[in-house]
Amino acid sequence: MIHISNILLALILLSVLLSLRSNRLMALVKLMAFQGVVVSAVPLVLETAHGVNFNLVMFFLLLVLVKGILIPGLMYRAVKWVVVDREVEPIIGYHASLFAGLIMIVFSVYVTNQLQLAMLPENHKLLLVAAITTMGAGLILLMARRKAITQVIGYLMMENGIYLIGTALAKQMHTQYVVEFAVLLDLLVAVLVMGIVLNDINHTFDDVDTALMGQLKD
Amino acid sequence: MLQLVFLIPIIAGIAVFFLPVKIGRLAFIATALFHLFVTALEWFHVTEPLHSKYFSNTPEGMLVLAIMSFLFLFISIYTVFYMAEVEMTKEPIFNGSMLLFLGAMSMVAIADHIIMLWVAIEATTLMSAPLIFVHRSKASLEATWKYVLICSVGIALALLGCFFIIFSMETSDLHVPISFSSLNGVAAQLNHVWLKAGFIFIVIGYGTKMGLAPMHTWLPDAHSEAPSPASALLSGALLNCAFLGVYRCHQLMFNAGLGDYSSNVLIAFGLASMLVSAVFILNQTDYKRMLAYSSIENMGIIAVGIGIGGLAAFGAMLHMIHHSLVKSSLFLSAGNILLGYGTKSIDKTRGMLRLFPKTGITFFAGFAGISGFPPFGLFVSELLIILGAIKAGRYVVITIFIFSLILIFAGASRLVLQMVFSEPENDDKLVPERWTRALPPIILLLTSLALVIWLPDSLYQTIQNAISSIGGTVNG
Amino acid sequence: MDFTFSSVSFLSFLAAFALAPLFMGVILKVKAFFGGKQGPPWLIKYYTLIKLLRKGSVYSTSTTFVFKLGPIISFVTAFMLLLFFPFAGLSPVLSFHGDVVMLFYLLGLGRFFTVLAALDTASPFEGMGAAREVFFSALAEATIFVILALFFRLTGSLSFVEYFTGAQTVNLWSESAALILLVVIALFIVLLTENSRVPVDDPATHLELTMIHEVMILDHSGPDLALIEMGAFCKMLFYSAFISCLLFPFHTGTPFFNVIVFSLIMTLIYAGVGLVESITARYKMDMVPNFILTSFALVFFATILTMEFVQ
Repeated sequence: MIHISNILLALILLSVLLSLRSNRLMALVKLMAFQGVVVSAVPLVLETAHGVNFNLVMFFLLLVLVKGILIPGLMYRAVKWVVVDREVEPIIGYHASLFAGLIMIVFSVYVTNQLQLAMLPENHKLLLVAAITTMGAGLILLMARRKAITQVIGYLMMENGIYLIGTALAKQMHTQYVVEFAVLLDLLVAVLVMGIVLNDINHTFDDVDTALMGQLKD
Repeated sequence: MLQLVFLIPIIAGIAVFFLPVKIGRLAFIATALFHLFVTALEWFHVTEPLHSKYFSNTPEGMLVLAIMSFLFLFISIYTVFYMAEVEMTKEPIFNGSMLLFLGAMSMVAIADHIIMLWVAIEATTLMSAPLIFVHRSKASLEATWKYVLICSVGIALALLGCFFIIFSMETSDLHVPISFSSLNGVAAQLNHVWLKAGFIFIVIGYGTKMGLAPMHTWLPDAHSEAPSPASALLSGALLNCAFLGVYRCHQLMFNAGLGDYSSNVLIAFGLASMLVSAVFILNQTDYKRMLAYSSIENMGIIAVGIGIGGLAAFGAMLHMIHHSLVKSSLFLSAGNILLGYGTKSIDKTRGMLRLFPKTGITFFAGFAGISGFPPFGLFVSELLIILGAIKAGRYVVITIFIFSLILIFAGASRLVLQMVFSEPENDDKLVPERWTRALPPIILLLTSLALVIWLPDSLYQTIQNAISSIGGTVNG
Repeated sequence: MDFTFSSVSFLSFLAAFALAPLFMGVILKVKAFFGGKQGPPWLIKYYTLIKLLRKGSVYSTSTTFVFKLGPIISFVTAFMLLLFFPFAGLSPVLSFHGDVVMLFYLLGLGRFFTVLAALDTASPFEGMGAAREVFFSALAEATIFVILALFFRLTGSLSFVEYFTGAQTVNLWSESAALILLVVIALFIVLLTENSRVPVDDPATHLELTMIHEVMILDHSGPDLALIEMGAFCKMLFYSAFISCLLFPFHTGTPFFNVIVFSLIMTLIYAGVGLVESITARYKMDMVPNFILTSFALVFFATILTMEFVQ
């Protein structure tokens, strides 16, 4: 029997590993869009075991709209504006990031096994592995890259990972659409605010390199 | 309607974006007044008790809400006159964002649902970001970027903590709504391992927002680069909101029988914050940064006080109230200083007493207050925390506590005395003093004084109720 | 060893060998389609081979017998690959337990002699190409062996016959689908690397400095070049067949149907290669290791998962 959810998770991991070695901002944005759509589909696939209901599908569409279209769309515009469209001299190189991603995977498998989550269904374990890896890789991107846009993408990836962890652990989360919608709205506004600040940074510094910003320190 | 406290500012905030400047200012102050009115209604439980899945009226929430609403009124008055001096082109955006920010913070104060609290705290970050980079200078952009990114990442970790807490309920096969009020009822049955993990993540997450070391790095930048009214609001109200998030989880831990664990975590973070700010305050050259580090210190004091519990918890709550009043007053004075001298450098702001006597006196009085001199409230609250710690037998903690207080006082007094009492370099005043801008900080200081002399019974009762859930008492 | 000289397996081997150049034509056609051109005829590669075989070989006086040995060995090793591979789920001509390990080392042997021949010419260009070729294929080899480790975890065997024939095959429609998906993507990357395709190497480039594989065989001519080309076709066919077998389980019971589906999938894979070549530019040389390491990362991850979950 094939678990569609496992394939989705494999796709998420694929996008994570690809984004760790990508140096083009546009490619990163496309990967984020892809990842957003796949991440949105995970709860749908997990829950359809108990039958599809209307709310679930509507919410899936909403998630795809926000994570797969609106947020990448905002990022896309941001990348269009910036002068330099690729990452130059990352703080941690691409190979090192990729290996850090691999170590992250090993680590998350180890953690998942240590947790002794006997009550979770079998395919939730793989979900947890994928989730922790995504979160960790997001953190790696945040720390290892200097372009502000890449950092936003790292943040989004981390958020995706946390969302997946929530999907794996907190079942009640998915019965309360108001709350989940509020979380989604927050994410959208966060990206919007970051986009505005990015735009201003690009205007003022003629680049989105965070290394240029170092005035404030003690 | 409890929800009014955040709905009104949000609606008004959006409206102010589009209104003409003059009407916008009126609407701004009117909303602040109305917010205070609604808060008062809630405080005295005039309206019907609320039955909502997401919001509730809790003593600690009301405390934070009341402080916030009171501060906001005076800050809004100050803002209007401050903005008139700096002639900002984007004033509607600033005022509107202030209101949205107030709405988000009010939502934090009344949120009961775990995730709703998270949503509200994240919203405060986003709504306050425009306040910081309103000048669009390189430094303010850098500060905003750090603020948004560090806080968002930190708060994302708090979401993880929330999920862990929800999971701690689901592993124990409990099915109650995931709000603090209902979780507190079944706290004893929650899975301890997951609860602890959740608490750690939440302290890291909301602690980032609260400015606990070592996650505090955004705070000095954001507070020093934001326009002064925004700094006053960030320091006086926002930090309390983040603290409320931590406090709610501490309550849950206490009810689950893990009070010792969470207390120790809070004390550790608190002491770390105090030490870090003590080190960094010694060689400050920027008075707004100095005030920002002082906020970190005071948040540390509150965390330590709550961690020790008992009498110290009462002290911590008092400390929160007085710190908000005094620190906001100080930031408003700092705004006046910045207007008068046109610089944030301590070396270039000499002879305040002669050039700007009103501001000089307020600033110095505020400094005396924040350092814990009688007759200001922080003296009482710090004393209570120290007494509580001695009672609880935490001698090591209190030694470090007092040591950092002394260090901070020594460092800051050198700078402040120089600013206030030395001879001015020249007699240039960019903008003369005005009563309209000098009064709000003075009123805030006087409120702090008044609360020392006469603590209203309902306030006393509310603090009592707020700390009783973590075993804090005045007489214990 | 298992000599099942059945006529079917022999026929399948012969057909595969004979059709290898035809499939290469698919790539050219796809590229021509995207370029808005008509492209060369389908049988172009046969014409090229015949042309080359009819020519004579030219040898530099500074080369030794190693130079002549290179093409022969690289052809023979690639040829041997086909003997062991179960095309469309039909049992291969030869097979024994552990044959996959030998096959990949045979490929290595072929590459070794190609490199030796290149170095034998003492041309600086060829030395440079050899260095690149060895570096990149060493990286790809890491991926290959992690894949073998993964398959060993899944099936407990090291033989193509056991992977791809019978009722229990390794494919995308089994329980470990998620893992196989990662393997397929990784194998495609390895295919592009090992066969010197875009974005790793550009077979159509004209500048020696940017070449990897092509530059090593600059000095070969006539029948020698034909042998090298034929070897390359076989190698490409082998990798594509490997991926096809992962994509579809060929145990439907009707061999005829299997063969049709297999040919279709093969065509699609070749078309995929053509598509990649049409829409991407080749990487800068320093980005190539990055690309190959991604494939390693994918299969490494898949293997980690088998260690823990598919027990």
